[in-house]
Amino acid sequence: MIKTVDLTKIFRTDEVETTALNTVSMEITNGEFVAVMGPSGCGKSTLLNILGLLDNPTSGELYFSEQEVAKYSERNRTNLRKGSIGFVFQSFNLIDELTVYENVELPLLYMKVSGSERRKKVDEVLERMKIVHRKKHFPQQLSGGQQQRVAIARAVVTRPKLILADEPTGNLDSANGEEVMNLLTELNKDGTTIVMVTHSPTDAEYAHRIVQLFDGHIVTENIKQVL
Amino acid sequence: MKELCVPVPHFQEKENAELVLKVGKERISFSFRVVSFPWDVEDEYSNGKDEVSRSLARITRLKNAISSYDKNWELIQIYTPLEEARFIQVLYRQKKKA
Repeated sequence: MIKTVDLTKIFRTDEVETTALNTVSMEITNGEFVAVMGPSGCGKSTLLNILGLLDNPTSGELYFSEQEVAKYSERNRTNLRKGSIGFVFQSFNLIDELTVYENVELPLLYMKVSGSERRKKVDEVLERMKIVHRKKHFPQQLSGGQQQRVAIARAVVTRPKLILADEPTGNLDSANGEEVMNLLTELNKDGTTIVMVTHSPTDAEYAHRIVQLFDGHIVTENIKQVL
Repeated sequence: MKELCVPVPHFQEKENAELVLKVGKERISFSFRVVSFPWDVEDEYSNGKDEVSRSLARITRLKNAISSYDKNWELIQIYTPLEEARFIQVLYRQKKKA
């Protein structure tokens, strides 16, 4: 599904040049659940942003479903992102002025899905995320765990092939964190490929494979053993 | 509740910290190790004094140390070394036998 070849990202200011990713080559197959671990500043989020077409690499190749997309125009990247990739962030990134229902409906509006189809899809996904009873509430009226369930509902409502999750349990207590990890596992069992950035060895246990990043390099990859 | 946080007293590089968990009648034991690998030292990977060369040497050293480590142990976490640290610490857990 995704392949990177010598992916490099350099951030430059007038005085400093920082290599966030240094010749990263990796492959993620359909249906995999991959955790990316490493200390702060090792390049995890930069990698996720590039895989999600939110950022461009400085050099290297990025393949999405066997198409080279690293040099795609902004318009093409947006189109690919809208239909194929869902994002889950640590800080939920919900729009405070919109209700739960409207937040989840938003990606479908961007995709110009008809009103009746939107209602059906949003209700289905809210039901699945067990948050349908809160659909008229605003994000600030919900607990952190509930907000993350809404964020996951928004990420999956378009049925993307790939979900990119950046520290999805980072702002949650352990019970809500476990619930979010169980939801991601369930989505993965249904065939969604998941790439998750995490600091947490416990969360990484849910993945099939753990990629360890350090100073912008992949230092090791290991297949998880089921305990 | 899915995890317990257990404080572990300092243990030496060649020592293992072993935990035994009893759930109902089932006993599950875990064995952990924190291993120190060379990080910023003079060795065959050292190839220049500039930061780029040193950084590359550190990563090569770490990659090789991890790849040649005992395969009965799985890597759990790489700890961030302190500034000027010569060694880097890595947490391993012993794999369960099939």
